[in-house]
Amino acid sequence: MQPEKLTGDPARDGAALRALLPAQDILTFRFSDARGRAYVCLFADALTDKQLLAEQVFLPLSRYAGEQTEAHTLAQHTLSPEVRTEGAPERLAEEVLAGNPVLFWEGADEGLVVGTKKVPVRAVAEPPTDVAIKGPREGFIEDVKTNTSLVRRRLKTGELRIEMLTVGRRSATSVALCWLEGTCRAAVVEEVRDRLSAIDIDALPDSSYLTRFLSSRPYSLVKQVGTTEKPDIFCAKLAEGRAGILVDGSPIALTLPYLLVEDFQSAEDNFVPAFRATFTRFLRLFALLVAIYLPAFYVAAQLFKLQLLPVKLLLTIAGSIRDIPLSPSLEMLLVLLVLEVLNEASIRMPKYVGMALSVVGALVLGETAVSAGFVSTPAIIIVAFSGIGLYAVPNLIEETSVLRLVMLLAAGSVGTYGIVLLSALVLVYLVTTENFGVPLAAPFAPLVARDLKDCFLKYNLRSLKMRPASLASPNKRRQT
Amino acid sequence: MHAFLKRLPMKLWILLFALAVFTFFSNDFALVDIQKTALVLAAGIDREGEAFSLTAQIAVPKGTDRTTGGTSSVEIEGKGATVSDCLTDIYARTGWVPKLIYCDLVVLGESAAAGDVFDCLDFFLRNEYIPDACLLAACEGSAKELISSTSAIDDTSALALEKLFSAAAEKSGQVMTTTLREFAIGYYGKSGSGYMPYVRAEQQEGSAQGQGGARSSGGTQQPQQEEKIYSARETAIFSGGRLAALLSAEETFAFSLLEGNVYAGTLTEGGKTYVILQERGSTQIGEADAPAVTLRVDCKLQLYGEDSTSSPERLAKGTLTDAEEARLSDLLTRRLQALWERCARADCDLLFVRRSLWRASPARYAAWKDIPLSDYAVTVLARAEGLR
Amino acid sequence: MKLCSRQILFFLAAVAPVGKMVLMPARLAAAAGNDLLFPALAQLLVQAALIFGVLLLSRRERTLFSLLEGAAGKWFARVVCLLFSLFLLFAALLPVIEQKIMVRSIFYDTIPAHLVFTPFFLFSAYLCSRPLAALGRMWDILAPLAAVGIAGILLLCTGSCDLAALAPAGAAGWRGFGSGMTVTCSWFYDSALLLGLIGRFPYRKGLAWKGALCYLAGGAALLLFLAVFYGVFGEIAVLQTLGFARVSAFFRALPVLGRIDYLFVFALAFVMTFYVILPMQEAVGTVAEAFGSPAPLAPLLSVGVNLAMLAAVYALHFSPSATVSAMTSSLFWIYPIFTAALPLLLALRFGRRHARIS
Repeated sequence: MQPEKLTGDPARDGAALRALLPAQDILTFRFSDARGRAYVCLFADALTDKQLLAEQVFLPLSRYAGEQTEAHTLAQHTLSPEVRTEGAPERLAEEVLAGNPVLFWEGADEGLVVGTKKVPVRAVAEPPTDVAIKGPREGFIEDVKTNTSLVRRRLKTGELRIEMLTVGRRSATSVALCWLEGTCRAAVVEEVRDRLSAIDIDALPDSSYLTRFLSSRPYSLVKQVGTTEKPDIFCAKLAEGRAGILVDGSPIALTLPYLLVEDFQSAEDNFVPAFRATFTRFLRLFALLVAIYLPAFYVAAQLFKLQLLPVKLLLTIAGSIRDIPLSPSLEMLLVLLVLEVLNEASIRMPKYVGMALSVVGALVLGETAVSAGFVSTPAIIIVAFSGIGLYAVPNLIEETSVLRLVMLLAAGSVGTYGIVLLSALVLVYLVTTENFGVPLAAPFAPLVARDLKDCFLKYNLRSLKMRPASLASPNKRRQT
Repeated sequence: MHAFLKRLPMKLWILLFALAVFTFFSNDFALVDIQKTALVLAAGIDREGEAFSLTAQIAVPKGTDRTTGGTSSVEIEGKGATVSDCLTDIYARTGWVPKLIYCDLVVLGESAAAGDVFDCLDFFLRNEYIPDACLLAACEGSAKELISSTSAIDDTSALALEKLFSAAAEKSGQVMTTTLREFAIGYYGKSGSGYMPYVRAEQQEGSAQGQGGARSSGGTQQPQQEEKIYSARETAIFSGGRLAALLSAEETFAFSLLEGNVYAGTLTEGGKTYVILQERGSTQIGEADAPAVTLRVDCKLQLYGEDSTSSPERLAKGTLTDAEEARLSDLLTRRLQALWERCARADCDLLFVRRSLWRASPARYAAWKDIPLSDYAVTVLARAEGLR
Repeated sequence: MKLCSRQILFFLAAVAPVGKMVLMPARLAAAAGNDLLFPALAQLLVQAALIFGVLLLSRRERTLFSLLEGAAGKWFARVVCLLFSLFLLFAALLPVIEQKIMVRSIFYDTIPAHLVFTPFFLFSAYLCSRPLAALGRMWDILAPLAAVGIAGILLLCTGSCDLAALAPAGAAGWRGFGSGMTVTCSWFYDSALLLGLIGRFPYRKGLAWKGALCYLAGGAALLLFLAVFYGVFGEIAVLQTLGFARVSAFFRALPVLGRIDYLFVFALAFVMTFYVILPMQEAVGTVAEAFGSPAPLAPLLSVGVNLAMLAAVYALHFSPSATVSAMTSSLFWIYPIFTAALPLLLALRFGRRHARIS
């Protein structure tokens, strides 16, 4: 049975808390001050900086000879800048598990929580998924405090609000909700807070768990929450009027509301001339369309509408697919599936094996399959083009690869008309998806003419005086 | 009930997905995929009494292994009461479904051109899968022979013929090309006339017997066939869909000038060759009470070559003397007159005089439409001008 | 999610003209010959005036059902809305048949199995179950797509177009004009389509004028297309049942570039798909509103409508020409009842009340 409140006897209170936390890595340290009053401190072995705890708490209190033992008096006598009190034993247990030692002393009905947490963290490094050739190299890490510091360093304003929430019944994961007051719509912040508070899950190991809770259509194929590993992008998005979420234990930050067009933009777009950035963005769009449609049109052209191909190319293909035992659609499906498997395997494999796997995949499988007559050369080329196109927009890989397969199914079943109908269906789905009151397909549907300056087109930064109207920020102007 | 309806969309999506997968794997919507298709590049049509014979030049992949590409061809003949019947005959005999989506050339043999050509072209116009942009040509002898002949220019005769009908060739004034659409518009229009390039296959000088085996694998090997060179400098003109006359090379050139097609074409007179740098041609209906036509051509020319030695100054200038201009104007006038006379004799409204008349004045058209072209008063205005 | 006035303008300017580019040009050429522009122009002017009136009605920001209910009671409104929905389904039949012909011709190169058109109704059922306002966002995307499609096609066929083929003006006479007007009734029912949308978008100042002008601007593009169509095909225009898909096939560089015209043709086909479904979607929306169908039943209604349409299309599969002729020549009189008479009656009713109040 859990104790409901503290008794004022440090030995009993310590034992009660110990009973709540029976794990062997929870240690108890007992000492007394200059007047012989007893103190009991509980802390998690690997999560607490013991040297700091000794220097800032044990040493000063062991020399304390004052009469008063109120919490605030003792807090003043410790040398720790992060001290607070907590009365509920279960909350104290959570603090211990979070790495913050808890101190009990005689006559106290509250425990003193000392912020000497020491979590092993890796160094801030360039994120592997968001590499910038020109631009900041810093990336978020797994420690939420480090991450908030990276944000704070870039937004030195009082308007930056960071609200710490806890999600996960057992994991009690710290979640930092960040926004710029007066720039982000209050309704968005409120809704994010509400949705986060409503989450009832036992553990939150990663920020990806949150995305499903923050999406208006949880079963959607299309993502509805923006992600980034880079603090510069995160801050830029906060400055545009979005809210951001940092999750302890995850280097992936979430941003809301999300617009589909975001993923075609890059951190480097401001380092290159505007026309170059525009060209690159259109190139990404083109690559994405190639990735989705090329295999489908290739199959539809062979089965239903030969005229899509010039006659000489068609004859080359006809020559190549002679004696291939599979139908064009099955052949393409097979090659695409092999590509997906190769992709999946090469991501999971250790790096040194990955290299070998690429060789096996590219040379042995590709070349041998063509020589053996399992698949044709054009099919390999088409899938290779499509595969390359997929990686031009890395944040949409999952969506695109599924869509590519579905498009292939439509093309193989009904031909070009199937592709057109499926595209229409996807488009209707996209334009009717909204999250936090912001349409996913904005600024195209609904059309927000002002925002077209920074979507696929990229105007010079000096002419982007207003924040994106699609986000309906209360603070419309970002520069004069 | 309500809960069932709530979950219905997801169930429907799953059902649809299953259907799509099923159709994907069963893969049969009466489709004719690339493996079962005969891609017809050109069709040659001959009339055999009441029946037709269609020779389809079918493209086949070149090379013996999967890694090589290219174009080669094979010719297959089908016979039947209609063109459609001929294609069915080809299908029945080969198992290939002939598709005319890439058919860019239809050649009519002499026998087909002698009757109403729309007896056979009707199919091409009617079929929604055949491009109306395909070129038409008439030929000497049978279309089958022409299509099946081996060209010295290209492995595939259709491709060699298409080179002959290129835009560049048309600009030279040596050939007048037409598409199915243009011919049909002329046929169904007020003038009821049209034209096609007239192709003759000539044996290439020095072409040795047995060198015709250049055609690639997959095509019919015809090692003994002679290599042919095609010429389309003449033009077949049609009235009411029937071959009315043949325009000579000079008349074809004059027709090209009237149509305003010529750029950088050449004209030879008195041992000198001139290049046409600019020209404007028109056929105008007179405003008088009697039917009258004015054929007008204005050209700017430059001296291009002579059959005798010239001084360096003359070589450098390339300008024309007044006498040369007069001679050239006279030459053009004669050619235009010859063209008109040829058309008038055949009562072929090649220059779309009646159509122009209709567009200008339906009343006058109604009054004059039955007047033969030979009764029209013709004025020919040709002016050749050198560079200044 | 709500329609906005800009989206209405986009629909009128860019989406509405595209729906008239399949069978109408050939039918119009058959009826009025080289004078095909005159009946089309007259229809455009009449529709523009009606659209002006309908948009004025939308100032009240009340739906058709709501207006009728306010004027003559719930049951009267229900009956009229039901008739209006039936008319929309009737009007949808022709575009659906057009769509079917178009699909067969431009998406396949041999005659495909009948089944290939069935997915259209699956998509249509999905779209009909979405709120009408979702269409507005689609129009934001479809309008530029349609503009690019029309411009691309016109650009590709300039070289093969002889606009002199339109001469002599007036050759078809009043008879040709009347015949052209009759035939085109089946395609010019945009005022009725707009009537089904009133109350679903806010009225902004000058929307009525802007709407009429946008419709005329789109109409100008349609007239240009018709002129170019006749200029390209002349006397054989009557044979060209898929005007927009065939008109650009004569571009001289196509053999070199490949069939780039298909980019524009497919873009227009994409736009048309939505235009064809619009009447069905409106019919479902109107009935759902009039009878207050509970939420889960609305999708069933859209499935039912599409099943009925599917059955009708397959029942008429072997008589497409007779169906089109019946709709354009014998039953053309049904259209003005809902495109002109109904809006005018509503305008009279509510215009008078407005005058009395003021």
